[in-house]
Amino acid sequence: MNWLYDSVEPRVMDEDMLKLAVGEQGPRDEAGQLARQEGIVFKDVLSLRLDFQNILRIDSLWQFENLRKLQLDNNIIEKIEGLERLVHLVWLDLSFNNIEAIEGLDTLVNLEDLSLFNNRISKIDSLDALVKLQVLSLGNNEISHMMNIIYLRRFKDLRTLSLSGNPIAEEEDYKMFICAYLPDLVYLDFRRIDDHMKELAEIKHQYGIDELKQRENLSQAQLDDERAQREELEEHKAAFVERLNGSFLFDSMYAEDVEGNKLAHLPGVSELLQAYKDKFVIICLNIFEYGLKQQEMRKVELDTFNECVQEAIQENREQGKRRIAKFEEAHLLSLNAIRDESEVTNLEMKVAEHSKDITELFDMLMTLEMQLVEQLEETINTFERNIMDLVALFIENVQSLMAQCRDLENHHHEKLLEISINTLEKILKGELDENLPYDVRALFVDKDTIVNAVGTSHDLHLLKIDNREDELVTRTNSWCSHLVDAIHKDEIMRNRRRVKEIHQYVDHVQNELDNLECSEIID
Amino acid sequence: MEVLKEKVEEEEEAEREEAAVRAERGEKVVRPMEVRREEAPMTQEMLRDLERKLSDTEMAIPEKLSTFTKDTIAISKLPLSYQSNTLKEEHLLQVADSFSRQYSHLCPDRVPLFLHPLNECEVPKFVSTTIRPTLMPYPELYNWDSCAQFVSDFLSMVPLPDPLKPPSHLYSPTTVLKYQEGNCFDFSTLLCSMLLGAGYDAYCVNGYGSQDMCQMDLTRDVCPLTVKHQEVVQEEEKVPPKKYAVKPPRDLTSRFQQEQETKKQEEIKAEEERRLREEEERLLDVEKAKTDPLHGLRVHSWVLVLSGKREVPESFFIDPFTAHSYSTQDDHFLGIESLWNHKNYWVNMQDCWNCCKDLVFDLGDPVRWEYLLLGTEKSHLSLTEEEEDGLNDDDDVENLGKEDEDKSFDMPPSWVEQIEISPEAFETRCPNGKKVIQYKRAKLEKWAPYLNSNGLVCRLTTYEDLECTKTLEIKEWFQNREDMLELKHIDKSTGLNVDYFKPGHPQALRVHSYKSMQPETDRIMEFYDRARVDGLVKREETSKTMTEYYRGRSDFLFYRHVSFGDRVKKLSLNSAESNPRPIVKITERFARNPEQPADEDVAERVFLISEERIQLRYHCRDDHITASKREFLRRSEVDNKGNKIVMTPDMCISFEVEPMEHTKKLLCQYEAMMKLKNEEKLSRHQAWESELEVLEILKLREEEEEEHRLTISIYDTKRNEKSKEYREAMERVMHEEHLRQVEAPLDYLAPFLAQLPPSEKMTRWQAMRVKDECLSDFKQRLIDKANLIQARFEKETQELQKKQQWYQENQVTLTVEDEDLYLSYCSQAMFRIRILEQRLNRHKELAPLKYLALEEKLYKDPRLVEFMKVFV
Repeated sequence: MNWLYDSVEPRVMDEDMLKLAVGEQGPRDEAGQLARQEGIVFKDVLSLRLDFQNILRIDSLWQFENLRKLQLDNNIIEKIEGLERLVHLVWLDLSFNNIEAIEGLDTLVNLEDLSLFNNRISKIDSLDALVKLQVLSLGNNEISHMMNIIYLRRFKDLRTLSLSGNPIAEEEDYKMFICAYLPDLVYLDFRRIDDHMKELAEIKHQYGIDELKQRENLSQAQLDDERAQREELEEHKAAFVERLNGSFLFDSMYAEDVEGNKLAHLPGVSELLQAYKDKFVIICLNIFEYGLKQQEMRKVELDTFNECVQEAIQENREQGKRRIAKFEEAHLLSLNAIRDESEVTNLEMKVAEHSKDITELFDMLMTLEMQLVEQLEETINTFERNIMDLVALFIENVQSLMAQCRDLENHHHEKLLEISINTLEKILKGELDENLPYDVRALFVDKDTIVNAVGTSHDLHLLKIDNREDELVTRTNSWCSHLVDAIHKDEIMRNRRRVKEIHQYVDHVQNELDNLECSEIID
Repeated sequence: MEVLKEKVEEEEEAEREEAAVRAERGEKVVRPMEVRREEAPMTQEMLRDLERKLSDTEMAIPEKLSTFTKDTIAISKLPLSYQSNTLKEEHLLQVADSFSRQYSHLCPDRVPLFLHPLNECEVPKFVSTTIRPTLMPYPELYNWDSCAQFVSDFLSMVPLPDPLKPPSHLYSPTTVLKYQEGNCFDFSTLLCSMLLGAGYDAYCVNGYGSQDMCQMDLTRDVCPLTVKHQEVVQEEEKVPPKKYAVKPPRDLTSRFQQEQETKKQEEIKAEEERRLREEEERLLDVEKAKTDPLHGLRVHSWVLVLSGKREVPESFFIDPFTAHSYSTQDDHFLGIESLWNHKNYWVNMQDCWNCCKDLVFDLGDPVRWEYLLLGTEKSHLSLTEEEEDGLNDDDDVENLGKEDEDKSFDMPPSWVEQIEISPEAFETRCPNGKKVIQYKRAKLEKWAPYLNSNGLVCRLTTYEDLECTKTLEIKEWFQNREDMLELKHIDKSTGLNVDYFKPGHPQALRVHSYKSMQPETDRIMEFYDRARVDGLVKREETSKTMTEYYRGRSDFLFYRHVSFGDRVKKLSLNSAESNPRPIVKITERFARNPEQPADEDVAERVFLISEERIQLRYHCRDDHITASKREFLRRSEVDNKGNKIVMTPDMCISFEVEPMEHTKKLLCQYEAMMKLKNEEKLSRHQAWESELEVLEILKLREEEEEEHRLTISIYDTKRNEKSKEYREAMERVMHEEHLRQVEAPLDYLAPFLAQLPPSEKMTRWQAMRVKDECLSDFKQRLIDKANLIQARFEKETQELQKKQQWYQENQVTLTVEDEDLYLSYCSQAMFRIRILEQRLNRHKELAPLKYLALEEKLYKDPRLVEFMKVFV
């Protein structure tokens, strides 16, 4: 295909090659001199050109983390790879290579301009991650199927597309089809699409587009629904009462309960079961609603707390800033005064005075900070107490509601046992006129079997209820402790940062003074 | 009082009956006032009263009389209602006289009522009928304050001939408006008419005022324009402390010391206050004029506006001379004799020993307010009910019914013509377009717009002393200036001039305050920043600095301060333009750019040009109290030996808040420095341009001041030449059109009259002949027309028959096309025939009617009518 391909050896992308390229394309003149002096770090490079290098395999590019523009055209690359780290890439040129499939672009979410001109691509694919794509060049490839165009509908920002030189460009309907299915497109094959053309295309393919749109809308609606459901579930989870707004827990109690399901066939049990289920679901709903309400309360509490803390921090910060601004003015003046001073004794006096000022500033800032720390500590402790109380109350109430569930279960169990024993007696006496399924009848052999069966079912139910309760309690508690820990940690971090900042600033100011002194003395 | 009321009613009843009888007889009842007064029983008390009054009158020095006397008013041109009284008015005057008689009988120690003064035609008119409620067609005159201001501006004040008595004449508002002069009664009648027309519950008041008020002497009043509006400090709502609000740090200062400190402060304050008070008292003593010997006796008239209508929350007085509103408790108003509106007349029966402070303005209360007419007695009370009901008509009907039952008498309609103010007069406002008002330590001059060539409409001069010799400050208001100058404020004590502009100045100037127009002196210019591309809000200049404030710029610059050094002496001419001052320092401040991280967003940038240093201060991070700083030194690329200087790390001193986060590469700093160098150039250029702009503005201002051109709105058809021309052309066209239309109506008698010999008079026989001829001619015409239609109809029918015949004969040989043609012809011919038939029928129907109509017209024709009458 390419004469270079035959005559020149393929080259490997290594450090030297990259360094050379970077050096050549780096800053010029004085800046270049400086750059050479210091050496260029690959991380700082924003644009890199590697064309006509006979590269066969993309490699060693992982250091160029901040690269915005990469040109790899006119090489003999066969596979797109090694670009995963270049997440900031905006412009990628891979034209005039031997690429057969689009791949390896899944991390390049910022890509806006992609050129794959003159390759061997036959299918437009794997571009899903490129949501910002504006320019796509796919000319001189082997794309033959019109349906590839429909794939491009997902790129809302796509304005420029080139597909000439592909088998599909030969087709009669080529232009119309693209104009109709990509209505936002402005340039096709480097030409502006005129409005008349657009209208024509739209009329021609109206049915197809409408159908497609309908399908897209449907799938979009489905996606939205799913997302909404997921969000709702997340919300319920945050309130620790997910799946309690229905018969989910009750159903799960009977899901694995073989005996229980069998016993449901007994006469009178189904009514009993129904009543039991209704009552159970009502209690579950109670728990659910209570949980949401409590969650709301906790949220309000947390928001107020955060707001107040932020306010306090802001106010303190403003005070600190004011102090520093005031000091800075004085600092500049006294530095100038010291610089102008020629008398040694006066000089010393002034320097001493200024260092006193600096110490004063330091003390002041530290006092402010300590004051804030004390204030916040008190507030945080109050909040901690309150949130703990809230959580404890929540757990207590949920537990009492769960206990009601258990009571219901016990009650149901007793009733079921009674019915079972009655049935057993009837069967033993042969009075039972109803036909029971065989496996149910198998339970009614003797009293122990039936009592065991009923007991197993009961135990299983209790276990399920206990598990749910435990889950709720553990999660609530862990949320609470995590929250409190995080608040404490944040506060400590904040304090450390501020203290560090103050030290740094004061050191800097002191340094300035010292430097001045040194230079004075030298003079 | 009840007794009086009943008595009055009885007498009124009797009077009314008598009047009714007289009216039946058709007697003309025109009796002058004096005659009636003589008839009134003279009691001892009245005599005494009169005596006292006469002595009072002697004390007063008659001031100059109203300049427009009877003979200057063209009485003959006034409408009939001005020159005579209607029956109803006569009746009213009788009622009023009887009322006055009883009043003087029952309250002998009070002065006679001001009921029916003479008008300009020497005809007695009841005061209520002199009020003519009129809503002015100017939206500016819809509210009471602007109405009052208009009246006070429009009329010039003439003192009462006798300050202790109501005037003998009360002219109609139209006459007053025409001559633009009047006494307080004329003022308040006009104002009351306008307010009533605008829907206010307004009344004219006859009472007693202070000397200042009666003589329109404002020299002891503070000019309302000089009073500064006290800004209402809005109390910030105290936010309730939140649940987790941090506790304030403990206060460690000594409370005792604080107390001592405040005590000391208070003492000082008290001392100062005392001093101020003394000063004030001294001033007041100076100001307080000699007491008025006639205090409480000076008659004045003003307007009372009662609450209720037009959302007036509280009743108040308006002094028509000054257009000021006063509360009903004001000291200037010393008593009320009576008050009236266009419907009724009320006499105050309350004691005025404490001025008007204790008066209750509930006119429905017959004990406090004695009414003249019974019918409208309850007007005040019923009005409130009416408002509650929200149904005007029903109540009116009910009221009417009640009135009928009471057999009461209704106030006759006003005899005054509708009050009209021409747009020219409305615009000119003051008589001759100029008015001067003297206030305490201030003088206010007003002019009509376009009167002064520089657009001056108002000037307020404030003085330091009471004698108005030392000028303190001058404020001049302008209108319709092309340079949009609105207000010029000259402070004589500081020499500071402040010009205020409306939006629209070519340089978007808003305020310009300066001491001299020389460049490079202290001045402040404020701009309409939205009208400027660079968003400049304010530029302050001193001789060495220039500070500019910006708003809404895309580069977030909001402040630039430029310090200048001394100008380098040059041999060439030393103008500011050719030799700009060297710039020493440029400080620029930027607002936070939210798109950049705080560490890279410059907050302040200082170019120390003489020291060749650049200082940068960055914005503070959200959670930090310190900000990064950077300073670049020695930026000249070539040192003194001509060698290229290479960037070294010590050329850039920086303080980083987070030293670990940033790569402090020399390359970056080099690039930053290069960029800053360019920016410095730009900033210097900006400063230079600003200087140039100042020069330009100053030049422009001087030109504008010299030219002071005025703008004329295109809607101002009188002044705008272009639109005037256009309008005149339009009018001409309209006029021609109209002329043509006038010519149009046909004179059906003209041809017949022309046949007659041109003698001066037509004989009856001739007239009859003319008539007959005209009629017969018309008849002939009608017949001709009928014949014409008939002929056409026949012709059409014949043709159709022929065609049909032809078709019958050739039916077999005809082609399809021919047949189609024939059919279409047939249908068209049928249509034509039908129409002709209809026309004929119609003509037959209408012809006799038309004939009769013409005959009638001829009978009524002015040229023939006298002959016909006799004939008929």
